[in-house]
Amino acid sequence: MIKFLIKGILRDKSRSLLPVIVVATGVFLTVFMSGFLKGIFNDIAELNAKFNTGHVKIMTRAYAENKDQVPNDLALMDVKKLLSQLKIDYPDMEWVKRIHTGGLIDVPDSFGETRGQGQTIVTAIDMLSPGTHEVERMNIKKSIAKGSLPVKQGEALISDEFAERFGVSLGDKVTLFGSTMNGSMMFNIFVVSGTLRFGNTILDRGAIFMDIRDAQLALDMDDAASEILGYFKVGVYDDIKAQQLQASFNTKYSLKDDEFSPQMFRLVEQEGLGDYLKLANSAGTIMVFIFVIAMSIVLWNTGLLGGLRRYSEFGVRLALGEEKKHIYKTTIYEAMLIGIIGSVIGTGMGLGAAYYMQTYGLDVSSITSNIGMMLPSVYRAEVTPSLFYLGFFPGVIATVLGSALAGFAIYKRKTSQLFHELEV
Amino acid sequence: MKKIFMLFVSAIFLISFTNPNANVILDKVDKNMSSKNRIFESEMIIHGRRTSRTITSISYSAGNKQSFIEYLSPAREQGTKMLKLENQLWIYSPSTDRIIQISGHMLRQSVMGSDLSYEDMMDDRKLNDIYTANVTGNETIDGRNTYVLELIAKVDNAAYHHQKIWVDTERFVPLKQEMFARSGQLLKRTTLSDVKQVQGRWFPMSMVYKDVLKDGNGTEFRITSAKFDQKIPDYIFTKAALKQ
Amino acid sequence: MTQKTKIMLALKLAFKNLMGAGLRTWLNVSVLSFAFVIIIFYNGMIDGWNRQSRRDTQEWETGKGQFWHPEYDRYDAYTIKDAHAPMSEEIQAEVKKKNLAPVLITQATAFPQGRMQEVIIKGVDPEQTVLKLPTVTLVPSGDIDYAIIGKRMAESCKLNVGDRLLIRWRDKNGTFDAREIQIASIFKCDVPTVDKGQIYLSLDVLQKMMGMSNEVTMLVAGNGFINKDLKNWDFKDSAFLLADLDKIIQAKKAGGSIMEGLLLIIALIAIFDTQVLSIFRRQKEIGTYIALGMTRPQVVGIFTVEGGAHSILATLLGAVYGIPLFLLLGKVGISMKAAQMTDMAIAETIYPFYSLRLIIITIFLVVISATIVSYLPARKISKMKPTDALKGKLQ
Repeated sequence: MIKFLIKGILRDKSRSLLPVIVVATGVFLTVFMSGFLKGIFNDIAELNAKFNTGHVKIMTRAYAENKDQVPNDLALMDVKKLLSQLKIDYPDMEWVKRIHTGGLIDVPDSFGETRGQGQTIVTAIDMLSPGTHEVERMNIKKSIAKGSLPVKQGEALISDEFAERFGVSLGDKVTLFGSTMNGSMMFNIFVVSGTLRFGNTILDRGAIFMDIRDAQLALDMDDAASEILGYFKVGVYDDIKAQQLQASFNTKYSLKDDEFSPQMFRLVEQEGLGDYLKLANSAGTIMVFIFVIAMSIVLWNTGLLGGLRRYSEFGVRLALGEEKKHIYKTTIYEAMLIGIIGSVIGTGMGLGAAYYMQTYGLDVSSITSNIGMMLPSVYRAEVTPSLFYLGFFPGVIATVLGSALAGFAIYKRKTSQLFHELEV
Repeated sequence: MKKIFMLFVSAIFLISFTNPNANVILDKVDKNMSSKNRIFESEMIIHGRRTSRTITSISYSAGNKQSFIEYLSPAREQGTKMLKLENQLWIYSPSTDRIIQISGHMLRQSVMGSDLSYEDMMDDRKLNDIYTANVTGNETIDGRNTYVLELIAKVDNAAYHHQKIWVDTERFVPLKQEMFARSGQLLKRTTLSDVKQVQGRWFPMSMVYKDVLKDGNGTEFRITSAKFDQKIPDYIFTKAALKQ
Repeated sequence: MTQKTKIMLALKLAFKNLMGAGLRTWLNVSVLSFAFVIIIFYNGMIDGWNRQSRRDTQEWETGKGQFWHPEYDRYDAYTIKDAHAPMSEEIQAEVKKKNLAPVLITQATAFPQGRMQEVIIKGVDPEQTVLKLPTVTLVPSGDIDYAIIGKRMAESCKLNVGDRLLIRWRDKNGTFDAREIQIASIFKCDVPTVDKGQIYLSLDVLQKMMGMSNEVTMLVAGNGFINKDLKNWDFKDSAFLLADLDKIIQAKKAGGSIMEGLLLIIALIAIFDTQVLSIFRRQKEIGTYIALGMTRPQVVGIFTVEGGAHSILATLLGAVYGIPLFLLLGKVGISMKAAQMTDMAIAETIYPFYSLRLIIITIFLVVISATIVSYLPARKISKMKPTDALKGKLQ
């Protein structure tokens, strides 16, 4: 019978195409939007993950204990070896090294002597190696106020406000003065390739972003980094996986009697983000629930409409001697088939779109005037396991329910009446 | 009569031994420690939490207003120069060929991760100019007899409200120095040793600075060569010399 | 029929039809009402957060604005050294009237358990009432120097009430000084910027410590302070002092509007769909209206009003469960304990704030959008042949 029904569905476009499209669209919306809603609620955690905590973060224990003071003398050493080992041990993570420090930016006059000087926060990320995701992750391109990304070693981005204050133009050379990992004096000249807007007062007043290699050389940190951040390649934080990762890493690498051995921290253990995530998730779940209900109503209507359209067909079938029960049954089966086909298509499309939005995100900065690196401006979807089955509730159940209700009318109506409807 | 005489002698002895004029002592110390100008070659050993570093340098100073330091090693530091004139400080880095002026608020930062700030390095006024001294006792340090002096700041802008200083009774060189806050809290301790005679004066060739509030082993300072009252050309104390 | 009775008739018909449709209408209405309630709720929550954070920041830190020493810059610790000046007699009088709270700021190093930490020390008048800081506990007794700190600072330095802490600072001449202070109380405050890395001492004590008798770094204006011009002091208004908070709120609202948009779209799709269905099912009725002499636009109007009426019902339904819910949440608040340790100024409990403007705008938004989506399928009516419609012929 199912074969027969499938044939019917395939051949009768009005019976199949439209409902399937509607169901698929509905399910698509449900799946996609549910993925999106979580992302919206998690924006603050997401921002922190990118700039600060990673999905997991590796620091030396001594560094972690004093991390508010950015104690670069306690940074991780032997980073190359550690990174290549990490890449082998945990291939589903992306590992990046970063350096944070502070210093002074000194703007020279035409004689090379100090014209202006300001405090600065130094952030070094991998900007230049091919295939790096760091630029995108930090939303740097969108936050550029003037100029462009560094394209070669020795170029850097500085705060737009700082540049304005000290009259620094693109292409100018500024000197970064600070201290190396060992406490020696550090001088380094950078060419300003562009300026940045952060949306955060402290950073806007004085920050410099440079390539990690430049920082390593300048700070005498050739094979060292302040921290190594790990990001799940799938794009979203998964606490269960992070816990396993942490346990396995710390057992292997963290030594009790060496305060400079690396130690891994999860996102939820940093900056009070764990509780924040819980809150965001429960808010997201409520929203998804409402969403599913709403979509169910829409699809139920579709089922109903599909059933109603076919009253005259039922009339004919009844007249031909088909049993009411049989008609009803086939209607339900048909609805189920349509529901399943539509849900599968919709779920597939929804997941695809959610994956896409997980990777690229929706940029709202242009409509909200929130242009700044430190403000949530790109909303990403999150592909969670629930998305795989979520769409089937409205897709199958609501469609079947709608058809069931519409079909129920078959029992209410008299054969003659249904047949009559055919005449008109 | 004999008794009275003994009493008299011992009284004189006591007075002369326990209460030598503190200012005289300080004067003698200053004579040893200060000079019209001086050229030091030295190494500074900075103990970090992880590693220790040795930095060698040559410094020229005249009076307490002018000084010029050139770092000789390690390679990273080589050629870095610092010039201090009055209250201003410039640093030259050969790698960037830039002269950077260190403004007032930065002067309190530590120099190269040591227990000394730029300001500490710059403040080399004579003790007698800053403090009023009192002898409070005698102690022995490493087998040397010392006067223990208490110095109380007589100027407003002394870095420390008072100090305790142990001065070798023969050589008039301080062997230990403790710096206190107004509240009486001990802040820093300097131990000086390896006292040698240089150009007729006694001079401690090794010093250890320790910030007692901070964990760590302090900063060692060893003078490998000291020359006093030399002919230092004037151009050394100019910004032009930084770039040479 | 006059225009008014026509509209009344349309509305009456609409509601009758809607009620007739029973369960489906109510489901549509509930979904729309969810959207309606959530939009109000979310915005109310953000507004509540905003208001609370502003209020907290003002009560704890910024007052009705601050007068800064021209050298002072809150984001540049290096400026602190030179940013202090004596209070004029005029200012002292205002301080006495508790219209201004003087604050002297200095940098220092604290040594909790042998560790070294840079801190900012703020000297505040124990008798001030402009800021909510529990400064009364700073009133000296004996020769103990009392200090107050915030919860975050207490946690990061592992300090409790009664504990002693060694601090080292340099007075106005650069002379080092150090002494132990005793924690008199630990305050709990939602504004991280008054808490992290800061220690509060009595103004007199700090002035003595620094040798800066009668000098302050800034003056915080209280409610009673109207004259916004103090010579030699730069006035910073709330817009300036709260700029970072404004940015976060704005960003949160942007995120919220996407979510609200999605929700509303879903609800509207449901109405659109229902509208398509009902027009399809009720062709005979449509034919009858036209046969009875109604113009097609009039019929379109009836159906549009009917669809749009969902929104009115949704508003009413939303009010039925929304008002008690909002009142309850407004009273008990929403726990934000979770976000407390982050760097945002956020209260432990947020009490949503629902402004009349918010409610009216939301109603307007829901009704207009529901009416538009109801009109779209109803346009089809104008293309119907009345005869076919009357017959109920499927189109």
